[in-house]
Amino acid sequence: MTLLRSQAGAKPSAGINAVSTLLTFGALPVVLVICVVVFQLGNPRFLSSANMLNILQQAVFLMLIAFGQMLVLLAGGFDLSVGSVVALTSIISAQVMVAVSLAYPDAPALAVGAGFVATILVGLICGLINGLGVAVLKVNAFVVTLATASIFRGVTLVISQGLQVSGLPRDFVYGIGSGFFLGLPVSFFFALPALLAVFLLVRQMRFGRYIYAIGSNIRSAMVAGVNINRYLIACYMLCATITAFAGWLLTARVSSGEPLLGGEFPLNSIAAAVIGGCSLRGGEGSPVGVFMGVVFITVLANGMDLLRIGSNYQMIVLGIVLVGAVVLDRYRLASAAKR
Amino acid sequence: MTVHDLSEGEVFASLSGVSKFYGNFAALKDVSITLRRGEVHMLLGENGAGKSTLVSLLIGANKPNEGTRILCGRACPNLTPLEARESGVNAVLQDFGLAPSMTALENYALGREQTRGGFLEKAAMRAGMMRSMETLGVAVDPDARVDTLTRAEQQLLEIVRALGGKPGALILDEPTATLSHDESEHLFSTVEVLKKEGWAILYISHRMEEIRRLGAVVTILRDGRFVSFHRLAEVTNEQMIAEMVGREIAHFYPQIPHTPGHAVLEVKGLCAGHKIKNVSFEVRAGEIVGLGGLVGCGKAEVARAIFGLQAIDGGNIVLDGESIKAHSPAAMLKCGMVYLPQDRRGEALALNRPIAENMAIEVLGDAGYAPAGFVRTAALMKLVNGLLARLKVQPAEPDKPVQELSGGNQQKVVLGRALSRKRNLYMFDEPTAGIDVGARLDFYHQLHRLCAEGAAILLITSDLQELVHLSHRVHVMHEGSCTASLQGDGINEESVIAYAFGETPQKDLQ
Repeated sequence: MTLLRSQAGAKPSAGINAVSTLLTFGALPVVLVICVVVFQLGNPRFLSSANMLNILQQAVFLMLIAFGQMLVLLAGGFDLSVGSVVALTSIISAQVMVAVSLAYPDAPALAVGAGFVATILVGLICGLINGLGVAVLKVNAFVVTLATASIFRGVTLVISQGLQVSGLPRDFVYGIGSGFFLGLPVSFFFALPALLAVFLLVRQMRFGRYIYAIGSNIRSAMVAGVNINRYLIACYMLCATITAFAGWLLTARVSSGEPLLGGEFPLNSIAAAVIGGCSLRGGEGSPVGVFMGVVFITVLANGMDLLRIGSNYQMIVLGIVLVGAVVLDRYRLASAAKR
Repeated sequence: MTVHDLSEGEVFASLSGVSKFYGNFAALKDVSITLRRGEVHMLLGENGAGKSTLVSLLIGANKPNEGTRILCGRACPNLTPLEARESGVNAVLQDFGLAPSMTALENYALGREQTRGGFLEKAAMRAGMMRSMETLGVAVDPDARVDTLTRAEQQLLEIVRALGGKPGALILDEPTATLSHDESEHLFSTVEVLKKEGWAILYISHRMEEIRRLGAVVTILRDGRFVSFHRLAEVTNEQMIAEMVGREIAHFYPQIPHTPGHAVLEVKGLCAGHKIKNVSFEVRAGEIVGLGGLVGCGKAEVARAIFGLQAIDGGNIVLDGESIKAHSPAAMLKCGMVYLPQDRRGEALALNRPIAENMAIEVLGDAGYAPAGFVRTAALMKLVNGLLARLKVQPAEPDKPVQELSGGNQQKVVLGRALSRKRNLYMFDEPTAGIDVGARLDFYHQLHRLCAEGAAILLITSDLQELVHLSHRVHVMHEGSCTASLQGDGINEESVIAYAFGETPQKDLQ
């Protein structure tokens, strides 16, 4: 007994600590460093401050959506409708902003505010539909969100008749979309509070404990007194709302309401989360990991752009990287279990 | 020596001086054991003593870092699970290796399907399964999906499946932990049959009764080390327990004073499905009420129905004088009820989450632990570390995922959660299944304390001695109905068994 205790209680050395910390995030940091080196060698502009700002600007949208996706993944589901939510938000918020700015041409802030409110409403409603389908109707998340992805996309096309919505308020396009504040993109400052809120929700709050418990074993969470439906619906609503918010920022960036916006987000957000250590079976993953996953995917895309690798090839690379991440993850789990 | 040479007493498998390290943690250090044909070898040790590791070496799931592993007279340093099985090593472990969505027959034949020209010979395989079941005197529906079978049936299926292979060694890891009395009897006679047929049997158990009844020899482990080897005829229970725990144990079952107060839980005419028929009883503050009966008699379902995990068709549940209306686990927890579920992997644990999160989840709804939704980590860790120390969970690392703990230690985590909040009504469903003597004693002392502090306790257990020695009153169930209410001197093993079988004991007729 004494022997076991002294061994178990012994402080592991700093070296072992560093290695095990690294293992928590898999090979991701290493691969990221390799990518940076390769891209810098291939194009010296890669590490320039202009390109770093570029990466930051590109990463904001995926970061928001991946954080939303993470909430759903942790609770043991996933959301394939994020792309359609982005498009629906883009069209509806754009139409609202155009209508309000036509009615009150002297109050651009009112138009932007109305667009924001419309965005949040679209997110909450879409998320509620997903959440009700999964939690109350108890249909598999894959089927529910695949169906709603089609529905939301269809609604978007009906409303917009497949056309762009232009004539957005200048303050929206030039202020939020491409403006800078303190040398950083304005959209970054918009995204920061939302990301921070998700981080706190997951790591510091009861909400996080409960969704990990639900994702890991839904029955045991129920027996432990967790109101399953409430938290599942909340996850889908938060995911869709933060996605809608990203769609709104993206609309500002592309300066018009786009009915075909966001098609890449379902794959990219799930890929970023999984590369960052989220399990598709739920109950596993962390905001820091997802953060790194998003950085990785964005850096990869940006670097390949600079190396003039076409977007068709980029899709192939992303698919390979996703499979590679999942395989690596399995090895990591296996080695963690052996330790 | 060939595999089919079944002469009695011959060595079938042995481990000598084996060690297994995980990092610098010695799960097993310099342990030797010899399995002989026709002999039931008992393996004793507390949770974490190294029993499971020893088994993993025998079945080829792990490689010893030191020492030799000999199977059928041949040293096998690189044994794989498949080779072990082909040499006749069969194991029925606690976590069954059955495919839940396949039928019993498909599972029976899995990995050794008989085919002709690529087509399955279903009739031959069915006949083989039937033959094995006949040898054992058991019946499991070959066409039933495994996930529709009870745990007891799944276990029997595992044994039947083992018998379908080559005769050799059978390893049984706490086989009776989830079996009822008559199912256990079935198992015991099965073991006897196999012993006569020349199987070498390694049997892990925490129950002295069956250790005495079945075993010829016993090996005791403690903290991954070999403590002793005895012929069972030459050793007392007290000595074995002392060697296992490392100290003397004075009173196994504590004398818990009975000071009943007001009725905390009243169940009136409870009906649910065809599992519970008109069950009524009450549990008062400061008393332990036992609920006994065979597996499947409905005793587990009673607690599930009370806790809101099962729909109620009729009857009334009254808590502290108030009839319960909103009926869900969350609502019942709010009312001050604690429920420890029997199915620890299915309903109690989030396996890939850390110990701390598993233990401290119910308290998150309580005042003081998550004000405004923000978790107070320091307070939670204090609570968790206290519970880990109290229950002697090994290893006591709050951040370790529960799936990396041994079965007994997982159960301690479940117990820890049940004890994490001070409440006035506790319902324990098979609380000591698979935990060692030391943890058991500790749990009994916790029961003692809770009871003395005025908690009402409903104890549902298939461990007859536990039921009889700890309960102040016992209700026995048979096929969904309460057949007897015993108290005082009326509580004894004989009458509980009789009522559990739906009979009326002789002495009550006088």
